Amino acid sequence: MTGTQSSRARNQETSATGYEHLTPKFVEMAELPDGDPRRATLRNALVTGHLPLAEHIAARFSNRGVPREDLIQVATLGLINAVDRFQPDRGTDFLSFAVPTVMGEVRRHFRDASWSMHVPRRLKELNLAINAASAELSQRLGRAPTPSELGKHLDLSPEQVYEGLEAGNAYHSMSLDEALSPDSDSDPLGDKLGQPDAALDGVENYESLRPLIEQLPERERMILTLRFFRHMTQTQIADKIGISQMHVSRLLSRTLEQLREGLMGDGK
Amino acid sequence: MFEVTEDGSPEEIELRIAAVLTNLPIIRSLAASIAMRADFDLDSIADLRLAVDEACSTLITQSAPRSTLRCAFHVNAEEIRFVVSAPSTSDTKPSSDSFGWRVLTTLTDHTATWIDGPDDSDAPLVHIELAKRRSEGLPG
Repeated sequence: MTGTQSSRARNQETSATGYEHLTPKFVEMAELPDGDPRRATLRNALVTGHLPLAEHIAARFSNRGVPREDLIQVATLGLINAVDRFQPDRGTDFLSFAVPTVMGEVRRHFRDASWSMHVPRRLKELNLAINAASAELSQRLGRAPTPSELGKHLDLSPEQVYEGLEAGNAYHSMSLDEALSPDSDSDPLGDKLGQPDAALDGVENYESLRPLIEQLPERERMILTLRFFRHMTQTQIADKIGISQMHVSRLLSRTLEQLREGLMGDGK
Repeated sequence: MFEVTEDGSPEEIELRIAAVLTNLPIIRSLAASIAMRADFDLDSIADLRLAVDEACSTLITQSAPRSTLRCAFHVNAEEIRFVVSAPSTSDTKPSSDSFGWRVLTTLTDHTATWIDGPDDSDAPLVHIELAKRRSEGLPG
């Protein structure tokens, strides 16, 4: 879209926003009964008409390690939500409602689906390649591969493998990986694994620990149980749950940290 | 290319750092980096990282105010040995019945803890030692 640059110069606080012609359409849409086919036409016109706004907001968040196209998509989604939820009779104008809504959507995307610090694209691709190679080699070897095996497999130098592995640590713990992995509710494994109660017997701080473990999300509890009470390796757990070993590692690290914090908060 | 050291001899790495929880990321990154460069498999690297994190946070939470944590890594062909020490506010060793200890014993091949002093210093020095062996069936 070409409207991005031109909308940058405009100040939304003045009346010259460039979107005034769309305002009557909101009133028109609000007056139509639900299910009226004209609503869809108006909605389309409103979303399309405000697209430069979404692009403008996406542009403000670009160069932070998330592809621009993804940002525009997320911002557009935010815009659609804003169009759907906006009530013209509330007395606010659409822009002061939409801008925070769209920005919120983009921020959430950064929080949920991106790297916690700026990591060059090359390193992210390297990390993804290593993740894929690691899954493949684990299958073949029956254990997790070493950096040198990964290097040989991917035809990379040791330093490149180290870089790629380290880049994985910069990945936010709430990753895309996580968003794409099976929902804990639908995971049949969750049903098979009971509480780790029996295994926890004999652990000194059992009484303070048990409620903390019960509060964990199903999948985190499962990973904890499989690693510490069933002695499975991270690679085996990754394979069982259908996520990467690096992701298991991140989740386990976060879970142990939470448990430690919880035990300390207990006055222990 | 991936030898432990250039001449194959054991390698010593020592880190002295303020005993505060905010320093944990530095220590665990170092642990992961050492295991990675010693060409341990990815599971062992992740395990050592978690274990070092656990051991250090155990000592930090019972460390004397404004004290220093001493972390020593010893790398040889068979294993990575890690010893962390800190002056403590109590003269009791970390309990081997705790969940934290179970975490350590699960993640590593060897765990030990002991106390020195207090003799000339005013706080007893608590140590935790861990060792992670190179996995079986690895080349070289």
